[in-house]
Amino acid sequence: MTKFRTVSKMKEIMTNYYVEAKTTKEKPIAWITSGAPVEFLYAMDVIPIYPENHAAMCASAHQAMDVIDAAEAAGYSQDICSYARTDFGSAMTKGGPVGGLPEPDFLLCSTNICKTVIKWYETIARVKKVPLFVVDTPFLHEGLTQGLIDYSIQQFKDLERFLADFTKRPFDKDRYQNVLEMANESTDLWMSILRLGKTIPTPINAMDAFIHMAPIVTLRGTQECVDYYKELLVEVEERVEQGEASIPNEKYRVLWDNLPIWFRLSRLGKFFTEQQCAITAATYTNSWGGMVKGKWESDDIYEMMAASYLYNYINLGFKERIEYLAKLIEENSLTGFIMHSNRSCKPYSVGMYRLQEEVSALTGKPGIVIEADQNDSRAYSDAQVETRLEAFFESMDPVVTA
Amino acid sequence: MYKAFQDVISNVSATVLKHEASLGRPVIGVMPAYFPMELIDAAGGYPVQLWGNNLPIHHADAHLQGYCCSVARSMMELELRGSAKMVKAYAFTTLCDTLVNLREIYNRTFTKPDVVLSMPMTRTMEARRTYLKDGLKSVASGLESITGQKITDESLADAAACHGRTRELQRELYQIRRDKPGLIKNRDFYSVIKAGFFLPRAVYNEMLSELIQKLAPLEAPEGKRVSVVVSGLVFDPIDVFDIFDELGMDVVDDDFANGWRTVSKDTLQTSNLVEGVARYLYEAAPCCCLYNADNDRHDYLVEKVRSAKADGVLFWYINFCEPDAFDAPLLKARMKEEGIPNSSIDIDLTTTNLDAVKTRINAFAEILEG
Ligand code: SF4
Ligand code: SF4
Repeated sequence: MTKFRTVSKMKEIMTNYYVEAKTTKEKPIAWITSGAPVEFLYAMDVIPIYPENHAAMCASAHQAMDVIDAAEAAGYSQDICSYARTDFGSAMTKGGPVGGLPEPDFLLCSTNICKTVIKWYETIARVKKVPLFVVDTPFLHEGLTQGLIDYSIQQFKDLERFLADFTKRPFDKDRYQNVLEMANESTDLWMSILRLGKTIPTPINAMDAFIHMAPIVTLRGTQECVDYYKELLVEVEERVEQGEASIPNEKYRVLWDNLPIWFRLSRLGKFFTEQQCAITAATYTNSWGGMVKGKWESDDIYEMMAASYLYNYINLGFKERIEYLAKLIEENSLTGFIMHSNRSCKPYSVGMYRLQEEVSALTGKPGIVIEADQNDSRAYSDAQVETRLEAFFESMDPVVTA
Repeated sequence: MYKAFQDVISNVSATVLKHEASLGRPVIGVMPAYFPMELIDAAGGYPVQLWGNNLPIHHADAHLQGYCCSVARSMMELELRGSAKMVKAYAFTTLCDTLVNLREIYNRTFTKPDVVLSMPMTRTMEARRTYLKDGLKSVASGLESITGQKITDESLADAAACHGRTRELQRELYQIRRDKPGLIKNRDFYSVIKAGFFLPRAVYNEMLSELIQKLAPLEAPEGKRVSVVVSGLVFDPIDVFDIFDELGMDVVDDDFANGWRTVSKDTLQTSNLVEGVARYLYEAAPCCCLYNADNDRHDYLVEKVRSAKADGVLFWYINFCEPDAFDAPLLKARMKEEGIPNSSIDIDLTTTNLDAVKTRINAFAEILEG
């Protein structure tokens, strides 16, 4: 796959971010889940640290299994999400590419990705003896409702009080407003980038997007994040104009559902390239792309914020997931879809067989479910997955170009 | 004394069908855990609790991956085999990620109506109430449309009294077990509790009071035996209790979601239902699946072991149950700190060969006999 120029810039801002977090003397540090309302933290000068992003880094650097072993030796079962095991193990051994995370002063966890994070963060809270704030954003069995919005807003307000108490100064509303604008701007930029995926041939492969999503997850709400995606957008637009493809001779265009298999990104990248299959869209990268647009209207910033934190792909009922998957397949002229049945991530994976059937029936496109894990390489077999994928590629009709 | 209860659990379908006919009420399958069944009775339904079963998995594999727990897999198996025909509708709670998605699978795969009580997991009390208020409204109207009957203040108060009575009687039984260890065989005890999943309240309450009366004058067997507290999600496969019985061990108390965590709940207050349900969910025994910063599982379990004068704790782990798996290491470490011996068994509801479990329990018993 052709690399983006901005990759070096991204490495630089991510390094700066970790360096600041690890060296700061004044700013408090909060460990936070990937779907939690980080804007409140930036508004109060708290540095957010994302154990999920860190766990993904450990796995991409092939350093996850060592720390996972440490966590398992301490009694954490293999049945637990491998992100959590990576995090526990890295905290025990200071292992991983950044030598462990800076200690948290408090924790912020939101349930819009799973309930598992409550257990994960409760465990951290006990070990580190720090307070935990949970923002419960319940699963949308029946779509967005005013009741859910009100529930979330009440918790946001309580979070403001919590932060004011913690930092011993009043919650900074102006700063919050400003942070929110930057967060929205980067979300919009990120989504514009991903939307360009509809171009044939695919200018930005999800294999690239998985790497380039680090800032939208960890730095959402900062100027660096906005600047970074402005640059990336320019680069992707250039590719579109020049008809530059992410892989040579694109024959198939597929969707990837669920987390990436972090420890196999490069091998799978090569494999997909050889097979002439571009991963054009991914539900995972889209999850930070303001999916709520058009789903809820209000002038109130809290309402919109509640709506966007609730309306997250894996927080949706299956009816909405199916419609969304079908829409992505349609809009991006995909030839099929791949669902990663991820042993670690039950909210993403349980029910996947049903989803695959329904989406195939609805779109007429072939789909496949492969068994893997985002971080635990013991739950993965190259041979099995690649054989299944090869058979799947053969079942797809190649993309029709104009 | 226990035959009537044992008959119920070995003939679940026949039992439910019989009572369905005599009550003339639709059977509502209640999924794990903590759905306030008072609401179902008040709406004229017949709640039957499903906590998984021991059916070998043939059909559910096509719907649920092998890394889903046997509770979810076996329930799905039951429905796919057509063995749950008498269940007209389902009542779900949002207990864990697996069950949240299981509801979605049911909703897409089967045609039965359902209601979902979404349990608020926040430390913001005001928000909890706001959310429950909304959630309970939709649960109530969902139940009413399933049964075709309105929930009235009166029907709700009656149902609350009846269910409250069940748990009160069960608590008496738990107390008898603590006071007179060995009087009730382990298997018998859990057969009594399990029979309650399937029987209409009035019938079950009568059976329970009769049993308690019969037990009152009896004394515990002589001599000290090894005693344990057992902790886990669900107390199945029930055959495990035969192992304790064979080894002469007494389970003197438990911390099961379908045992004490439910039994400990007070009578549901219905005058202010939102407040009542909030208390119902979060007061009494803590649960790994209910986030509640004010109710610490560690202190709770230590206190339980001490007050039950148990020799140790056995953790009963249902494979792939993440909420339980997360808590285990630190909970065990705390037990160790307190000088409370502990051990664990890993099991599926569908496990038929219990040799390995027996070996572990036996080894634990030997340590405790020390
Ligand atoms: S991988 Fe899945 S289960 Fe693990 S923290 Fe993320 S959303 Fe939760
Ligand atoms: S056993 Fe655990 S994972 Fe399974 S349904 Fe119950 S709480 Fe969920």
